Amino acid sequence: MSNRNDVVGRTGAVADFRSIAKVSVGQIIGLVEAVDEVGGTADAATISQEVDMDLDHLGPILDAAELLGLVTVADGDIRITDLSRKLLSANLRERKTILRDITGRLPEFRLILDTARQAGRPLGRQEILDVIAARVGSHQAEDLFKALVYWGRYVELLRYDSESEQLTLRAPTK
Amino acid sequence: MSPRPAILEVRDVSRSYFEDSREVKVLDVIRFEEWEGDFVCVVGPSGCGKSTLLKIIVGLDRPTSGEVLFEGRPMRADNPQVAMVFQSFALFPWLTVEQNVAVGLEARHEPADEAGALARKYIEAVGLDGFENAFPRELSGGMKQRVGIARALAVEPLLLCMDEPFYALDSLTAQTLKDEILQLWSNPDLPPKAVLMVTHSIEEAVYLADRIIVIAGRPGRMIAEVDIDLPRPRNRKEPEFYGWVDEIYSLIV
Repeated sequence: MSNRNDVVGRTGAVADFRSIAKVSVGQIIGLVEAVDEVGGTADAATISQEVDMDLDHLGPILDAAELLGLVTVADGDIRITDLSRKLLSANLRERKTILRDITGRLPEFRLILDTARQAGRPLGRQEILDVIAARVGSHQAEDLFKALVYWGRYVELLRYDSESEQLTLRAPTK
Repeated sequence: MSPRPAILEVRDVSRSYFEDSREVKVLDVIRFEEWEGDFVCVVGPSGCGKSTLLKIIVGLDRPTSGEVLFEGRPMRADNPQVAMVFQSFALFPWLTVEQNVAVGLEARHEPADEAGALARKYIEAVGLDGFENAFPRELSGGMKQRVGIARALAVEPLLLCMDEPFYALDSLTAQTLKDEILQLWSNPDLPPKAVLMVTHSIEEAVYLADRIIVIAGRPGRMIAEVDIDLPRPRNRKEPEFYGWVDEIYSLIV
């Protein structure tokens, strides 16, 4: 386990928003907690065993945690960050606020927020897919759209109605 | 003033099924009580009758002998003070998150605006605000179970029953959800007053419970009642934690 590319299922490339398309907030926090429980640093194989999840499934979660700045991965070793410790000791509401600050800085997320703000009206699903496709290519647009809706809802910056397929900006509850 | 009765009393509950005039006993003389502030886990291997026990406790099945009392009176299936969280989430796919959470309130004839306010309160409590208008198909497994929990809490029950609530979730999601449940449980302003959870996982029981009822064998018999006095948050890597897991494991095998 000396090379991060040994970790099957990881993209190897610099993680971007797509890496969080298939994982949930709960999985990311669960991973961070698992690393914290064994002392804050561990190799991927150990964590895979600890949490009883094969590396194919763990890879995208690890990528997402890295993208969000919750872990660093070097030479196959996963290490949690100060931000992780803050997240783990936070309550549900504080976790949302912390993750809102982080996701709000991701370029793909900014792109959608800015597009919606400039439009000044609800955006249709297809409009957003077009904007995303221009950035990442059409074959990935659908996954990225789902991820943006999921995270946008979770951090309460976006509202999406899957029946009318309209996306609007929202102000968080608190 | 007479002392307040226990929230739940399971009194010598036995259950048999009859096949071709042959008696098949699944539960044999289960007896325990739950008081305000108790987080109790019933743990046992599959086939020990623990799910049957939970059905009897919530009034969905009847014991062959023995009885279940809720605050000193026989338990009824329509008891509004008892809510249930299911292994399979049991959400209505055609309803939104908010509508799914409000379902139990409508059944209790809450006025629509009050039901909506309660639903939103508990959606926020489980961290699902932002997903109010999402449909179950748009949610991850962990979020579906959060809807199940919000729905159970929204009726503001005294007793919350959970049947293998983490069984359908991956281990990372499950761990996060366990911590969130403990966070909710530590808030005295939120229901319930007592929790009863059924699980096959000893580690899960030791992580969550104040008291564990260990059931094993066929028919299922109560082989131990164990108080877990480890402080929270519990660390699954600490020797004391593993000591309890090992001890209960050795009781079952």
